[in-house]
This record gives sequence, structure tokens and C-alpha cells, in this order.
Amino acid sequence: MLGGAKSVLYRRAVVVCVSLIACLTAAALAGTSFPATRWFEDITKAARINSKHTNREFKNPYAHIMAGYTALGASVVVADYDGDGFEDAFVTDSSAHGKNHLYHNNGNLTFTDVAERAGVADGNDEENASSAALWFDYNNDGRPDLLVVRFGHNQLFQNLGNGRFKEVTRGAGLYRYLNAIAAIAFDYDRDGYVDLFVACYFQPVNVFHPDTPRFFPENMETANNGGGVPVFHNNGNGTFTDVTDKVGLRQSGWALDMGHGDANNDGFDDLYVANDFGTDRFFVNNGNGTFSDITKTAIGFDTKKGMNAEWGDFDNDGLLDIFVTNVTDDYMREGNFLWHNNGNLTFSDVSRETGTYESGWGWGAKFFDYDNDGWLDLYVMNGWVSAGSESYVPDIFAMLVKPGIDLTDARSWPPMGKKSLSGYEKKRLYHNEHGQVFTEQSARHGLDSIRDGRGVAIADFDNDGRLDVFVANANAEPYLYRNTLPTGAHWVSFLLEGRRSNRAAVGAQVRLTAAGQTWLRYVSGGNSFAGQSSNRVHFGLGEVAGIDRVEVRWPTGEKEVFTGMAADRLHKIVEGSSKNKN
Amino acid sequence: MMRAIQFGHAAAALIVGLAAYGAPASPEASFQAAQKARATGDLTAALAGFETALALDPDNIRYGSEYRQAAIQAKEYERSLKFFEKLVADHPNSAKAHLNYGFAYVDKIPAAGSITQVILANTALTEFTRSIDISPSWIAYYTRGNSYLFWPKVFLRAPLGVADLEKAYGMQKAGPKRTYHVRVYISLGDGYWKTDNMDKARAIWTEGLREFPDNAQLKARLARNGDDLKTYIDNELDPNKRVDTNLQELWASE
Repeated sequence: MLGGAKSVLYRRAVVVCVSLIACLTAAALAGTSFPATRWFEDITKAARINSKHTNREFKNPYAHIMAGYTALGASVVVADYDGDGFEDAFVTDSSAHGKNHLYHNNGNLTFTDVAERAGVADGNDEENASSAALWFDYNNDGRPDLLVVRFGHNQLFQNLGNGRFKEVTRGAGLYRYLNAIAAIAFDYDRDGYVDLFVACYFQPVNVFHPDTPRFFPENMETANNGGGVPVFHNNGNGTFTDVTDKVGLRQSGWALDMGHGDANNDGFDDLYVANDFGTDRFFVNNGNGTFSDITKTAIGFDTKKGMNAEWGDFDNDGLLDIFVTNVTDDYMREGNFLWHNNGNLTFSDVSRETGTYESGWGWGAKFFDYDNDGWLDLYVMNGWVSAGSESYVPDIFAMLVKPGIDLTDARSWPPMGKKSLSGYEKKRLYHNEHGQVFTEQSARHGLDSIRDGRGVAIADFDNDGRLDVFVANANAEPYLYRNTLPTGAHWVSFLLEGRRSNRAAVGAQVRLTAAGQTWLRYVSGGNSFAGQSSNRVHFGLGEVAGIDRVEVRWPTGEKEVFTGMAADRLHKIVEGSSKNKN
Repeated sequence: MMRAIQFGHAAAALIVGLAAYGAPASPEASFQAAQKARATGDLTAALAGFETALALDPDNIRYGSEYRQAAIQAKEYERSLKFFEKLVADHPNSAKAHLNYGFAYVDKIPAAGSITQVILANTALTEFTRSIDISPSWIAYYTRGNSYLFWPKVFLRAPLGVADLEKAYGMQKAGPKRTYHVRVYISLGDGYWKTDNMDKARAIWTEGLREFPDNAQLKARLARNGDDLKTYIDNELDPNKRVDTNLQELWASE
């Protein structure tokens, strides 16, 4: 019917285009006290989201050793859980009696913690420690549900739509002991429901009451005694089935993070697994419900400490690239990976060439276009443990050079005590200079805090078209930075709703064409360590005020084209609503 | 040319064969055959030839150095380490064998993961120390002293490096000037820089430049200050970059 691209008659689409938000807020900087060149304002306290995260202290014979290695669990995940048009945030704590927080956005850049009322506060007890979280609409009812990722048993909360949640973990078939550290959800088999991928750090040894001291990594560079990535297929009836073996993802790395994206634009999302203490893995989706490990040809075998896997098209060439943080300090100079997608299921590390190689002891990192210039910038969390002035580095290396050392034995590892390890490291904000290099801008914008960063989430909390930043820090208060970019640069955002595809349209790719250029962005299902950004698809447009076309490739693989869409708006696009389909 | 190549192959094979059957081959003949095999790209024959030469003359620093360069070319790091391990076990008092054994660990560093790098570097230091204990020499002190400088400050090894390099400095001042002595001026200055003694660092670099006026590395250091100098030296001491452990300068300038 369409008869080829050139003969397609694009009628002005009758798009379900809901202009949820009006225009940019004018004169954003008027009356503020920070320098005009600083485009972020720390509004943590004013926003009332400043509850401190506390690390878990274990009570077992190895607690003094584990303390340093489990300084985790500070995470922030964003979604508009109540559908009021404002993005909310769920923030985890990790102490035994610490409450998790559901910060409801009041619409005026203040938040109210409604976790207790909503029934999602109790994520920690003597047998479970919250490590991360994930919003995902597992039942396609249009309401984001919540998975609390834990060392222990994960919690799945069904969003009831009345501001309350109901725990459904057991009924969903997800009640299993896992030392889970991250989770993402995407529809790997295109059946219309998002499936669940869980990154597990330790093997499923009960770390609260270990019956063996031998549950630490067997070595520091190729460890294969970690928890791997269990995969749970969404059965579409509120239950999940473990399909790890069936899909070909049985592995035993010390998984810290995962990221999904369609590397080869075949309509099926592929998977990058960032493993601590060893080799990251790249799995190509075969399109038949299975994955193949093509690490050797795609990225090669590394020995680094993979901490984060974030996908995005940083050079606007229409292919999704991947940013992975590793550990870089003067005693361990691994360098990050910026995997440039070569388009043939191979990647080249361009971190050195682009200036993103050395950021520190990296954690979560996010691509986002903070200045709306049409190029994805990058914000990187850094720092492991900031404590006393003494360094833990000599202790750890004294252990490593002991002949015949058994690293799996927790008792071999020196206690960290009050020492620091890559502590007090600054976070890094890399500005993308037209896809060629990145320049470090964190100090300029006041985003160079030295708290031990873990997760970062990006969202437009005040709906002004400028992306704000929520940072989760271990053993410290979080940060909320309001983006105060001077007005001028154009933008557009899309909220996608699947009908045949999964309702949240996770995996959908949006290609926006304007002024002779095409940008690619997509809906992520929770990529990057300890942080989930908004599922809105945001484009910075710079000086471009008019949009020629917007092509959506839905997770089903079907494409739709929309025209006549205005810039400087948030549009809602529902699958099947265009007159133009490819 | 072809005949030379064929000769190289045949000679190396013959010498290796002779050694295997217990016939005493000349170490120099083995070495020369191995050099020829290496020049033709036959690294397998070259390595075997060098090993034969070293087995006969374990304290020959040149044989060990050339062997390691061939091992680097062939990426045969493990073979090299195993060979030297046996060599020093068989000849525990061969100072230069221990030195080359230490260098064999250094040679593997760029090909290793970040943690293994530290373990390799540490083991190399052990072998350098054994070499010094057996027979203190300019090259051993320079080598160990320079190695200490690659360690991050937190390990507090830079002062040990300065001490070793001062010994090497004293030794070279007491003898005839050699072109490779410039290395001590560079490294000793780096050591003082790394121990926050900028005045002494500049003084030794300046003295070095007086002795070796064309040296670009000394000029580069003296032209820099502050963060610029730090970036430059950090780059020079980056463990991910291959350190040139070819010792041919030692005999080339004799």
C-alpha cells in the first residue's frame, strides 16, 4: 500500500498528541544567586528529598570484612506512578530498619514521602537489604509497578492505581533468594509483555547467615563464581517463569549491571552485562526467544570491573552505543569503556579518544542532553568508600601478593575498618562536543560533589523541558539538581503507550528528523546502575524549532510516522494512532 | 636473502638439536643463530635458540634481553617466565639471570589486567632485589629504583626508588660517562618529584641536561610545571604502556 518510501504520502497525522505541558518557563535564572554560567541548582533540601541512605551492617562472622564490599544500595528510580503528569521518585535505603522512600512530586519541585501510605516503605529487615529498584508495568495496565531489588528476596509491588501498592512477589513466582543488585525489564521475545532480567552479585549464598566463608570472588579479573543474571519470562497473567537456561543466559559472573538496546537495528533488543571482577558479556538477541554470547567478536574479553551499562547514540549516527564504567585510580588504571557501535555487532572502545576514559571509581552513569543541543551528554557517579584519611589500598594489595591466597574465603580479605578506598571522588559531567569528544563540566555546574555516588536518574521533574538530575549516594544524603539552563534551546518529549507492544513501550525507538538531521532515542527499561530515568523520550533540538517527522519503531517491530508535531512540548503517542505506517 | 633465511632456520634447528642431544653447543653460536631466526620472523626457532644460549651462559645479560624481546614479539610471556624460573633455580647465583627474570615480569604487565599488573610488578621487584643481593650493579639499582617509581604514592615506594637511583647515580659518577646514564638523571628527578622535592628534581634534571644537552625527555620535564608536569610524568609512568626493557643500550655504548 505504501509503495516505497518516496511514494509515501504523509498525511498530516491525527496524532493522539496531548500537550500535557505548556511552554518553557521563561527567565529561569532571574533572581537566583548562582553564577549565570551554572545550569544546575541544588534543591535537595527545599525539595524535601534529603533522607540519608545508610549502608547495611551485617551481623555474621564476616561482617567486618563484608562492610566494605557491600557499601551499596543507594538507588533512585523515576516514574509517574500515579499518572498525574509529574515524575515521582523511589529511593532505597539499606540499613536493617531503614525505610525506602516514595517521593511523590507535588508539582512544584517539592516532594512528599508517601512510601508508608503506599505500602512500599518496608524494603529492609534482618534478612533482606534493598540494593536497587525498578519501575515496570508488568501487567500492562498503564500503571508502573515496582520491583524492589534486594540481597535476599526481591519484592514485587503491584500498583493498584489508588496511590497504594500490593506486594505480589510470591504469586508472581518471583520469591527466590538472590543477592540481586540490579534489574531491567524489556520484551525480549516481543510477546507484548516486559520480561525481567536480574543482575546478581554474590551467588545465592545467604549473605546474612553464610554457611561458608567461601563466597567472595575467586579472583579479581576473571571471576566466575558470582550470581549471574537470572531471567524471568513474563507469562502475561501476572506470573513469571525462570527461563535463564532456555534463553541462553546462564552465566556466573559478578553481575553489577545490565543494559538492553537494539545494537543491530533488527527489532530485537540485545543485552550488555557489566561484570565486576571480570569479563563483561554481550549477548545478541537471536529473534527467536534466545540469546547468543558474542562477547569475543563484539567487545572482546576484558578483565576490568564493569559497574554500569548505559546505552545511547552519543554520535547521532543512528546506532546505539554503550558506556560502561570501570575502576580508575592511580593504583588501578582500568579506564571506562565507551563502546562505539560499528553497525555490524562489533564495538570499538573510544573512551580515550573522547575523553571519557578516566573518571574515577565509576558507578552509575547516564546519557542525557542537559543543554538541549541535540547531543547526549554523560553524567558519571564515582567513589567507593569515603572514610578516614588512611588508605585501604596497601591492605588489599598486601593480600593479593600473598602466595597461594584463597580469595573466595572472606577471611582472606582485610577488614576495611575506617579506611578509605577511592573515596572523596568527584562526579563527572561530560559535555558532548558534537559526538567527537566530551569536555568535563561538573565543577562549572556544581555537579562535582564528593559523596560516594551510586545511582543517577534523569527526569524533567518540573516539566519545563530541561532535564533534572537525581543522585543517590551511599551512606549519605541524595542530591536533586534542578536544571536552570537559560531558555532558548528547543526540545520535545514523547510519552509512548503501546497497544500491541508492551504498554510502556519499553524498547521503542524514536527517530526524529528536523532540519535535515535525524536523531535516535529509545525507551529504556531501567538501564544503568542503581538509577532508572524517566521513560519519556527526550530530544534536545538546539536552534531547530520545527520537526519534520517522527518515526516510532514499536517493540513489535512495526513503524509509524507522525508529522506536524510541535517542538517545546511533551506529546503522548499511542501505538496505532498514526495514519502513516511502514 | 632467501639463502640467509634458510641458513638461519637450519642453524637454529641444528643448534637446538645438538643441545637436545647433549652435545655442548657454543652459547654465542646459539645466540647468533637465534638472532638470525628472529630476523627472519621465525620466533619459535629464535626462542629455542636463545634458551639454549642462556642455559649455557645464564649470566649473559644480552642473551636474556634479546630473548625477552623475542618473547614479547611472540607474546610468549608465560614461556619466558617459566624459562627464567627454571634458569634461576638452576643458577641461583646468576645476578643477571635474576635481573632478566624480573624484566620478564615487567614485560607481561601491559598484557595483564590491572590487579595482575600489581602482582607482576611486585614479583619483579623481588627478582631485582635478588640480583642486587648477589651482585650490586648500576643496571640493577637503576632498574629497581625506576620500578619503584611506577607505584602509586600510597604504597610509599618512591623514597625507596630515590635511594636506589642515588646509588646508581653515585656509581655512574665514579666511572666513565655512558650514554645510558641519562636515564638516571631522568628517573632520579622523577623520584624527587614524586616525593614532593621539586627543587631537587629540577636540580638533577638540570644537571642531566648539562651532561646530555640534546635529551628531549629532560627538556620536556624542565619546560613543564604543576599539573602539566604531573600529566607528563604520570603518562610516562603509566603501567598500561609497555616499558622498553631492551637493554641493548648497555652494550651498544661500550
